[in-house]
This record gives sequence, structure tokens and C-alpha cells, in this order.
Amino acid sequence: MNFPIWELHWAGGGLLIALIAVFHVYIAHFAVGGGLFLVLTEHLGYRRNSPAILDYTKRHTKFFLLVTMVLGGITGVGIWFIISLVAPAATSQLIHTFVFAWAIEWVFFLGEIVALFIYFYTFGKMGARNHLTIGWLYFFFGWMSLFMINGIIGFMLTPGDWLTTRDFWDGFFNPTFWPSLAFRTFIALILAGLYGFVTATWEKDPQTRESLVRYCATWLLAPFAFLLLSGWWYVSVLPENAQAMVLGANPEIAPYLQGFLWISAVLFAGGLLMAVRMPAAIKRPMALVLLVIGLLYMGCFETVREAGRRPYLIHGYMYSNAILAGTEDAISAEGYLQTSGWHRNREITPENARDAGREIFRGQCAACHSIGGPLHDIKRLSAHYGTVGLEAQIAGMGKIYSYMPRFAGTAQERKALAAYIVHDLVGDPEVTQQTRPRPELDLEIPAFDAQDDEYVLLAWCTLGEKCISDSDSRFSMLPPGSTLMAQLIRRGPLPELVTEDVEVTFTAPAGFENPSNHVEFWKYAPSLVGKELAPNVSAKGLGMSGVMTPNDQNLTFLADGIPVLPYMDDGTVNPYPVFTIEAKDKASGEILATTKVVAPISTEIGCKNCHSGTWRHEGAMGISVTTASDVLARHDRRHKTELLPQAEAGKPVLCQSCHPDPLLKAEGDPALLNLPAAIHGFHANYLSGAPDAEPCHTCHPTGPDSYTYCARGTHASKGLTCVNCHGTLEDHALSLLKAEKEAGKPKADLLMRHLKPRLVASVEEIEPRKPWNDQPDCLSCHVDFEPPQDAEPSAFNQWVRGPEGLYRMRTDDAGLMCESCHGSTHAEYPAVNAFHPDLDAIQPLQYQGHPGPIGSRDNCAVCHTEDMFYEFHHLNILGER
Amino acid sequence: MDPTNFIPQALPIPVEWGWFYLFQMLTFILHILVMNVMLGASIIALVHHLRGKAETEPLTKSISVKLPFTIAFAVNFGVAPLLFIQILYGQFIYTSSVLMAVYWLSVVGLVIIAYASAYIYDFSYVSLGNLRTVFIAVTTACLLATAFIYTNNMTLMLSPALWEAYFDNPWGTLLNTMDPSVLPRYLHFVASSVAVAGLALALFYRFKVKNDPGAQRWVRHGMNWYAYTTMVQMALGLWFLSALPEHVTDLLLGGSLAHTLIFVTGATIGIFSISNALSYNVGTSAILSLTTIILMIFLRDLVRDAYLAPYFQVSDRVVTGEYLPLVLFILTLAAGLCVVAWMLRTAATDSEVRS
Repeated sequence: MNFPIWELHWAGGGLLIALIAVFHVYIAHFAVGGGLFLVLTEHLGYRRNSPAILDYTKRHTKFFLLVTMVLGGITGVGIWFIISLVAPAATSQLIHTFVFAWAIEWVFFLGEIVALFIYFYTFGKMGARNHLTIGWLYFFFGWMSLFMINGIIGFMLTPGDWLTTRDFWDGFFNPTFWPSLAFRTFIALILAGLYGFVTATWEKDPQTRESLVRYCATWLLAPFAFLLLSGWWYVSVLPENAQAMVLGANPEIAPYLQGFLWISAVLFAGGLLMAVRMPAAIKRPMALVLLVIGLLYMGCFETVREAGRRPYLIHGYMYSNAILAGTEDAISAEGYLQTSGWHRNREITPENARDAGREIFRGQCAACHSIGGPLHDIKRLSAHYGTVGLEAQIAGMGKIYSYMPRFAGTAQERKALAAYIVHDLVGDPEVTQQTRPRPELDLEIPAFDAQDDEYVLLAWCTLGEKCISDSDSRFSMLPPGSTLMAQLIRRGPLPELVTEDVEVTFTAPAGFENPSNHVEFWKYAPSLVGKELAPNVSAKGLGMSGVMTPNDQNLTFLADGIPVLPYMDDGTVNPYPVFTIEAKDKASGEILATTKVVAPISTEIGCKNCHSGTWRHEGAMGISVTTASDVLARHDRRHKTELLPQAEAGKPVLCQSCHPDPLLKAEGDPALLNLPAAIHGFHANYLSGAPDAEPCHTCHPTGPDSYTYCARGTHASKGLTCVNCHGTLEDHALSLLKAEKEAGKPKADLLMRHLKPRLVASVEEIEPRKPWNDQPDCLSCHVDFEPPQDAEPSAFNQWVRGPEGLYRMRTDDAGLMCESCHGSTHAEYPAVNAFHPDLDAIQPLQYQGHPGPIGSRDNCAVCHTEDMFYEFHHLNILGER
Repeated sequence: MDPTNFIPQALPIPVEWGWFYLFQMLTFILHILVMNVMLGASIIALVHHLRGKAETEPLTKSISVKLPFTIAFAVNFGVAPLLFIQILYGQFIYTSSVLMAVYWLSVVGLVIIAYASAYIYDFSYVSLGNLRTVFIAVTTACLLATAFIYTNNMTLMLSPALWEAYFDNPWGTLLNTMDPSVLPRYLHFVASSVAVAGLALALFYRFKVKNDPGAQRWVRHGMNWYAYTTMVQMALGLWFLSALPEHVTDLLLGGSLAHTLIFVTGATIGIFSISNALSYNVGTSAILSLTTIILMIFLRDLVRDAYLAPYFQVSDRVVTGEYLPLVLFILTLAAGLCVVAWMLRTAATDSEVRS
């Protein structure tokens, strides 16, 4: 089933079919309705004994003959020619399935021609009864032609049981056969009146003209109610996804459906207007205008029908690009170029990649996408993507939205295709990785006197990887608010955690004090979080410096909601600001201990990779307005929201105002997927099949190519990636979606359908998890706190059901929080920071001179002032490294 | 590159190939006859207009009235064999059509223009005056172009070895002019058209026209067109024969009994038709000519299968065995022909003057 492809550029995407077909169909339906019109009008002429009516009928027959024979008949063959040229595989399938239906139609075509010629040439010479019989025979043959072709066209949209039985009758008398036949018959009658206006308004005698025009108006007006009813019937028997698309799920179809409904009203009104007495000078042009409007009317209907069938030519069987439904996976395994014919390139090499991309485009995309032309211009549609984004789009298309088929090809072919489109068609040059150079940072490790100092102050940011969405004028999903925790230890053989009579403060580093000067969060706070906020103060009420809140339960100090941002007043972009933490005696004000801690914060969320635009802060990070607007525009288009216009009117919202999210304790609309499940679930469909943590790096600034490079802890140094704990993107998304599915949320299934787990054998084996609260656990790999035994350790699918019990919430047996000695998540000691090696090792260096966990390498004396031999804090604490 | 790699997969057919072969041949015979009259009459009329002799007026006027009918039926009888060819040889003809897509599609436009021009020539024959030459010229030119495009497609579909040219030209503007058999084949069909049109005119004036003293003149005129054009046709036929691929020519010159018999019989009868035409034996010439045409059409089918023999046998096609639609078609055809016959008879006999 592999034919060569006629390479069209401007005229591609089905334009030629559309033009020829709509033109033909407009005349052909007129031929059917007009056939009845002629014979009934002749009959009327005899009954009223009116030579004027008979003359008109004869005149109209000549008009009819010329239009339907010269233009109608040949363009009908024209459709056959053009579909054979542009879609030979589908045409061949139709021809081989329905050869005898077409052969039967041909008999009717022959009968039509003979009848029409005789009807015209013997008009006035043949006896009335026989002449009328000839007329009725013409109409019969014409309507039977419609009957036959209607079966085949309906089959393309609703093949019905043919898909399993391959039976001619199942295919011919398919689910839309009767409603479509009714619909087309009524349109044919309406068109008979519409065309009739043309010849009627050219009638010379005013009296006759008026009565004839009114007569034609009756033909136009009477069938309308039946037309709309049969249209409703037609839509109601459509298959689910086609029906959804036609009724508005596909934004492209909407204008044509609306056009159809509006023009129905216009034609109806036009018909009524034509019945009003007016001079010929007005009526003649009106008749022609209505004729043109009728053509648009037909075009709207046929476009809705064709577009509703997307992405198929034969629904459920063959896609518009001739690929058979269900074969995508097999083709993707072997390669599209290998499994289809008429390609010069079979294997992709660096030399032929661009040409291979062109062949893949021609084979899989050109059937619907023109190049620079009016139909689905690929240049216009791909303009903003770039190769990363376009590869993702190609990988994900057809999985969630059904108007396109899935791409059938290897990852390499996908790359070649994206490169061809982006570089050769859209014309974007090759993009080289450009990252802003990181600033030179100074860092002074605070002093510690191991002999004399009475206290050890440990402080950490609970999250080692924290992002803020600085797209506030459009939306916010991660508003500013970082969390610092601290524990104060009085040193001695039996150290003590101290909270009473002590005040612990946090102070922002110089240059970071004014986050509200750098982002618009504070400007839009009333709209985003529902209240006015003072500058540089977060929604939780904390400023950039202040007092930490003691917790007598777990003996910690907490500052929850520090609105720190990576933007310094001098323009530097630094995602690792260093806060100063000070413990003071409440009564005397004496400083008991000082330390410093990094509060990591980034805005390097990679939406721009697919959603156009560049970084807001060049080469570094930040979601630009262009990018954020594109995100909203797509959300609005797919989900019928109004987020972009709302934001442009100054009222952006928090994503969590609709999507539940435990992070912000947002309840949202409980029927919707929670935000992490929605985002990861949706995007996983587009970023799947990629190696290891590559998809994670597309959005999160975790990889070595990012500016922030926040995967920097001891695990990262040992070569572990996000995947080792969180699973691949598919696994990660499925774990979130499965929980949502079990909670009964309808959209979960749609997103899960094409996701396949990679670390476990099946979705059944996936353990569902709630975002933020259910996380991988250290002890899954570090059994009994030992180093992991596996060469490739994996903590995936073994969740701690938190938030209690999570690493960042847990203590050892002495009451020390895990993070106090081991550092933040993703920055576990010893951590290496790309901006300055010591940034994530301040306290280990301060207290023990090396970057490992506090107390490691026999440094129990940091807190105990002497060596320890008993493993009190946790098992294996004294273990061999 | 091995041409077989390019040939798309053949789809199953509902009933045995013989049915489609039969239908294809029957309808193609009708198509050729009507098409010949259409093209040939246009050419004859144009020649007369260009010569500018007033005495051929009745002839050209007569042609002008009939021409639109011939176009309508040439198209109608053309779609039927095209359908059956796609059933039996779809993987070849769809491919060759795509390779010459721009030309193939332009046939639609060419035929519409030819048809419209023919109607103008017909309905405005008198009022156009000398300008009518333009319209008949347009019709003739468009039809000649159409014929040339068809000849290219019908030969390109038989030559998978040439399809590789697609890789240098995927824009649908390939033709098959490098094939030496294209020109003689094309001219063979054009000549046939002129000859058959002449014969048709002779038949018309001999049997249909009553009470016209000038009729006999047109009978001779038509038979002369037939006779002399068929002589040229013989020469063109020999040229065509020699330009065929060697293995095909061999079949016709003794390599295969069936092929040779049909070829020789057809050619011989054709020669006899010339002699009868020169003697103005209209009826006999017509029968001989028709026999020749039928044999030559059958030969054409055999030649087609010979071209494709290295790649494909029509009998290879898988049959699904769905007979009811075939039965329904045959019944519809029979009923349809009966109705058509009734309509024609009524048109001929019921001509009361309107009161």
C-alpha cells in the first residue's frame, strides 16, 4: 500500500480536493434537486395550462443541461482524479471495496445523461405524458446516483461493522447512510430553489417573474426545517470522537459549523426577501449573490464532515497519510523509512538527515499540511517551536487529542523530521546551547572554634531544588516562599537541642532584599493570592529577614515563606543566595552561634522549549510573557478557559485556583486533576521515550546544561539521576495519574492511555502516590542505613506516605532532623555547586573542615566534644565508607 | 534499483478477475468508438473550417450539433473502463498517475474547456460566423492534449523500470516521452479517431438522413476520410509495432500463437476494410472496421499484460468471493439498458407537435 507522493507545497494539505469537491458537490446536489424541480414545474405548467411556466421550464432545462453536464459531470470525474492523485491508497481501498457500487452508479449516470438529453431536445415536441416520464426518470437516476455515492462517502466517516466483517453491505449501509441521504436530499431541494432564482429573475415579464421567483422561494424555504432535523440526526449517529470534534472539541471546525448555521439563517432570510416584489435590477444580482452564498454553505457542511473524520480517511482504518490504524507501533519499531516505499533514504546518517526529514514529512505530514499554503501551513503552525519543542510535539501528537494520528517512526526519524521542518521550512538556524556565564561569587565560611564554642547552629533549606514561576502577569503556579529550618545544639558529651530563651534570626544577603522590584508577583497578588501584600513580604507574612519561629515539639526553628528570588538588585542572576542565621540569647542579646545557609531558588522553568519565547533573563532563566501567553493560549484552546484574556485584563490566576495541590494546600475544583498529575501527565505524553532524565531536564533546571544545575548532591556525584528515585517521566506521571484515577477523576484515563511504565512491567504494578506527600524513601536503597547493595539502585515505587516520615520531616533517634546533618534534598552532603564549590557545604566546612555529613569521618566531636563509639543517632553511623 | 520495490501492494478483488476483464473490455470498446467519433469529428470539422470552403457547411453544422453528445458519452463510457482498470491494475495506474499528476489532473480542465467550447460552437454556430473556427480549434486542441496525456499514462503505468525518475521529479510533471512507443501509439489513436469519425459520418448520411440529395456526397466524403486515414494508420501501426519492447514485438510476430493470430487477423481485416471503403460499401466497411477495432483493443490488453508479465499477472489477484454486489450490478445494468432503450425509442417515435 505504498504509493509515491505528489509533492505539493502551496497547494498541499488537501486544497485541491477541497476546491474540486465542493464545486462539484454544489452542482451535483443541484442536479438532483433540480431534476425534481424540472419535472414538477413542467407538471405545474400543464396543470395550470401555462405556456409561460413551460417556457420557463424549457429555459431552465437548458441552463440545467449546460451547468450539470459541462461543469457537474466532469468535475465529478475530477474528484476521482484528484483523490487518486493525493490519496491513492485510500482511493484504491474504496475502489476495491465498492467497485460494484460505483459500477451501479455508472449505470445511473448513463441513464441520467440519456434522460436529460432527451428531456431537453424533445421539450415541446414529445407528448406531455412521455416527456414527464422522461423527467421523472431523470430525477430517479439522479437521486439513485446520490444514493450510491452517499454510501461510499458515509463509509469513510462511519465504516460501521465493516471494520470487523469487511462485508460490502455493512460498509455501504453504514451508520450515517440514512441521515446523510436525508440531509443531502433536503439540501438538493433547497439548491433547486436557489439555482431557480437565477433563471427566474432573468424572466422578462414582471408578473411571471414574480410568481416564478416566489415558486423558487418555496423550494428554498420548505425543506429547511427537515434539513436541520436531518442534520441533527446525522450528528447524533457520529462516533464519539468525531461527534465531539464536530460539536466544538476541535477549535478549527467550530467556525465552519457556525458558518453553516449562520448561512442557514441568511439563506432562509434571503428566500423570504426574494419573495418581496422588487425590480429585476435588484433581484438578478441578489440571485447571483445567494448562489455564491450557497456555495459557501455547501463548503461549510462538507468541511465540517471532512474535518470531523480527522485524522482518518477511512475512520478507524486508514489515516489521511495512508498509514493503517494500529500499525504505528510496528512502524515505529522498524522505522518509517524502512517500512514504506518510495524513499531514497532508508537509514538516517548525518549527511542525509535533512533529506530524510523531507521524505518523512512528505510521507506522513504532507497529506494534511501545506507548505506556505492556505491549509494547515506547517510553517505557520511550527513557527514557534524550535527543534526540542517540535520533537516533543511530534512524539505526543495523536495521544491525547485525536484530530491527528500518532507519529510512526523511530526517535531518530522524529529528530530528522523536526530538524527538516524547523531549519528547512520555517528557516530557523541551528540553535547552539548558549548559557550566560555564571557570576563569580565570593563566599566566606563562618568561623567555628572547636575548643571554645558552646553551640553548633545547623540550618538548611527544606527543599534543595526550588523553583518560582516568575510569570505573574499571566499566571503563577509556584509563588515565592522558601522554607528555612534550624536547630541549635548546646555542645557537650550529651548535647542538647535548645529552643527556650533563644531567638534565631534569618537575614537576607545584600542585594537580595527587594524581590518585589524584580517580579510582578506583588503587583498581581490580589488577583493571584486574593490579598494585597506589602512589598517583599510573602503571602505567609514573612519578609526577607526576620525571626524564626521555634517549635517546642520537634525542637526546631522555622521560617516558612521567605519570598527570596534569584534576582539581585545589581542585575546578577544568582540562584543560590546565602542567608545568615544567628542564634541569640533572648535575655541578654548575646550571639550564641552564627552560620550561613543557601536558600536555593530558581526560575529556570523550561516552558520556552516548546512554548516559544526566550528566557526572561537572557541566557539564564525566567518565563517570558511570550512563553507564558502561549501556555495560556493553548490551555484556553483545549479546555475552553479564558485565562489569557483574563490575564491580559490584569487578572491572572494561580493554577491552583482550579487544580488541587497539596503544596499550597489548595483544594481547587475537586473534579480536576491535581496540578502535578495534570502537568506531568499531560507533558509525559509528549516527552516519552527519551533516555533517562532527559525529559526531566526539559522543564526542570536539573541537568548539567542548565544555568542553575540544581541536581548537585552526593547522589548526583555518584552518577544517579532523577530516574533512580522518581522513575522515568512516564513512571512518574503514571504514579500520580493512577492515584487520580483511583480517586475517580475522569481525565486521568485519557492521559494514561498512551503512557507505558518503564521501570515496572505494567500499570497494575505502579503504586499510586499523592504529589509532594508520597515520596521515595532513603531506606529503600539504604537498607539499615547501609550503602546500597545494587549497582543500579532504585527507590521508585516504594513510597513513604507523608508528609510525616518524609526525609525533610524526619529526625534521627536523638531528635536531630535528618537534613540538619545531611543537607537539603538533592543537595545532600557532600554536594558540589556549579556557582561555587562550597555553597552547599558551608556548615560541614565550618564545623569540621570537610564537606561530608556533619559528624562524618569521626567528627562526632563537632557536637559531642569527644569521640563517640555507640551508634545512637542511627544504624551504621560509624560504618566504613 | 529493482523496480519491483516500487510496485505497491495489490488489494483483493471481490470476484474473479475475468469478470472485470470482460467489463473493462466491453466498456472500453464503447469508449473508444465514441471517443474516436468525438476527436475525429472535431478534427474533420476544424480542417474544413481552416480550408474555408463554404460547401462543407452542412457537414460541419451537422458535426456541431452532435459533438456535445459525443463528449458526454465519451466521458461516460470512459469512466467505466477506468474503474475496472483500477481494480485490476490499480497498483500500476495510481502510481503512474501520481508521477504525472499535474498533467493527469489537467485533463479535467481540458475536457471542461473542450466541452464548453463545443457547446458554444454548437449553440452559437450561426451567430459566431468565422469565429466558430476558434471554438472548434479550442475543442480539438484540448482533446488532442487529453489524448496525449492518456497515452503517456497508459504507457507509464506499464513501465515500472522508469518510475525511478520520481526521485528527481516528485512534483508530478513527469511524462513518458522517452519511451519510443508513445508517439506512434498516440498517432495511431488519433488516426483511428479521424478514420472512425469519417466512417460514422458516412453511416449517418447513408442510413439516418432521408430526403437529402446531398447526402451521397457526404457518404463518399466520409468513406474517403476513412480509407486514406486507415492507410496512414497501417503505416503508423507498423511504426508502433517496431517501437514496442522487444519481448512484446516478438509475441506479435510469431512468438505466441494467440497474439500473432489476433494481430494478423485484425490487420488483415483492416486492410479489407480499406478496400471496401474505397468502394463506398458503407455497411461492410463498418462491420470490418468494428471487427478490427475489437481485435485491436483485445490485442492492446494482451500487450499490456505482456509489458507487466515480469512483475504481475492479473490472475494473481486474491479474490474475496462477494458475489451479491456483482449480481446486483448486472441486474441494474440490464434494467438500466432497458430503460435507456425505452427512452430512446420514445424520443424517436413520440414527436407530437405541442398543441
